[in-house]
Amino acid sequence: MPTTHNHFAFCKRAAALVLLSLLSGWARAGELHVPAVVGAGQAFLISVGGSGQGTFYLVGPDDVVKRTVSLRNDVQIQASDVRSAGRYRAILCDSSSSCTSATFDVKAAPPAHLSFFLHPSRVPVSYPDSIDATAFVFDRYFNLVLSPSTVDFRITPAGGDGFSRSSTTRYGAAWMRLGSTAHEGPVQVTAVSGNGNSSVNGNVNLEEARVIQQVAAEACHLSMKAVTSGNIVTLETDPVRDCGGNALPDGTVVSFTKIDKEGKSTVDTPIRKGVARTQFSVNGPAQISVACGVMLGNEIVVNGKNI
Amino acid sequence: MKSITDTTLALNKIASRLAKAASLGVVMAACALGIAQSLPPVQLDANELAPRPIEEFTGTTIARHYALAWHDLAGALESGRTDGLGDEFVGFAKNRLVQRIGDQNKTGVHVRIADHGHHLKAVFYSMDGTAMQLLDHAQIEIQIFDGDKLLDTQNELHEYLVLMTPGADRWYVRDLEELPGKP
Repeated sequence: MPTTHNHFAFCKRAAALVLLSLLSGWARAGELHVPAVVGAGQAFLISVGGSGQGTFYLVGPDDVVKRTVSLRNDVQIQASDVRSAGRYRAILCDSSSSCTSATFDVKAAPPAHLSFFLHPSRVPVSYPDSIDATAFVFDRYFNLVLSPSTVDFRITPAGGDGFSRSSTTRYGAAWMRLGSTAHEGPVQVTAVSGNGNSSVNGNVNLEEARVIQQVAAEACHLSMKAVTSGNIVTLETDPVRDCGGNALPDGTVVSFTKIDKEGKSTVDTPIRKGVARTQFSVNGPAQISVACGVMLGNEIVVNGKNI
Repeated sequence: MKSITDTTLALNKIASRLAKAASLGVVMAACALGIAQSLPPVQLDANELAPRPIEEFTGTTIARHYALAWHDLAGALESGRTDGLGDEFVGFAKNRLVQRIGDQNKTGVHVRIADHGHHLKAVFYSMDGTAMQLLDHAQIEIQIFDGDKLLDTQNELHEYLVLMTPGADRWYVRDLEELPGKP
């Protein structure tokens, strides 16, 4: 009898253990296996384990997915669910509301867009470190491409040989500084990401061009001549140029100053067609000077008729 | 006698108004303090910034508006409301958040963030002053709910790459991207 009793007790315990094991199997959250990294916009599978139905959640930078899934089948992640780069949290809850979770990263797709800034829009010629170029490299979903890549900045002056500078991106940004060249006129700066071919290894070559206007620097060798007629003196400068021979743009102000016995008188006049002109009425001897910006020109002494 | 009564009434009214004004002031101060206290702490390190250095005022403005951005972000993710996001977010960052909150509202999911602070390191400031990139080491606790049911809790260091650009009176978060975790 005792043997039969022990056997019965053993069977009861075993049955309880099997039941507990089954119940714990149902209560345990399904397994979730995610890849460590996937490319932006690439569909993939997340393998799950378990039985029955569960609820799958995907929480990413710009979307949230919730769907009922079978724990026997892998979960299909659509390309549209992982377009934004960043960290994603996958969560699987089984029918007993027990949840398990995992994290994976989505990295940017290959470069597809360049965002290019060139500053300033006008710059004097021959001015060191006066032009700044910054380029941000984005993929087709406008994620910053964080893996280092080379951006070529190709500089093409209006009259003169072109040249280029290269910069490697850091956190998706590349930049460079350069001085303006010696001649006025438009200068095109083109940012190029890729290696110059239209399509290499499926990566499109990216180009963005901007134009900067180089203008003459400060006036240099400013000089004027005077023509006297009675007590009227007509003054005219030679063509106003900078030290590189570039004509100062029309509208640049030139100042003529007269000092005579009546005192000091100044006329500010804009350059028109490359030269500046004005007239003074003088009474007796007068000293006339000319200036443009920080440049002082020649001085002329005239002797007007006394009226 | 009447004039004494009138004076007493007038004094009572003035005292009552002063008390109301004082209590209103206390409430307003408390609200201001509450708002200030609810902002997450943000530290900015710009020692290795290139190619241009940061001005002190710019640094202060960036830290303040980045803290406000996270305050608004946490509020929007929990409440499901997007109306306040435009105060601190623009461009891709705003679009992505608006889309995510729309998805949250459709699925019934919401996120609660306990923000313990951010250590910002400025890594790039464009010469023309129109863009700044920063790395954010954020200590935040993220809880994901479906309705009232807590699905998941993460309490770890997160690293974000941030692109900020200046507006008329503030710096906006233009891009906010979480970087891959360290293996």
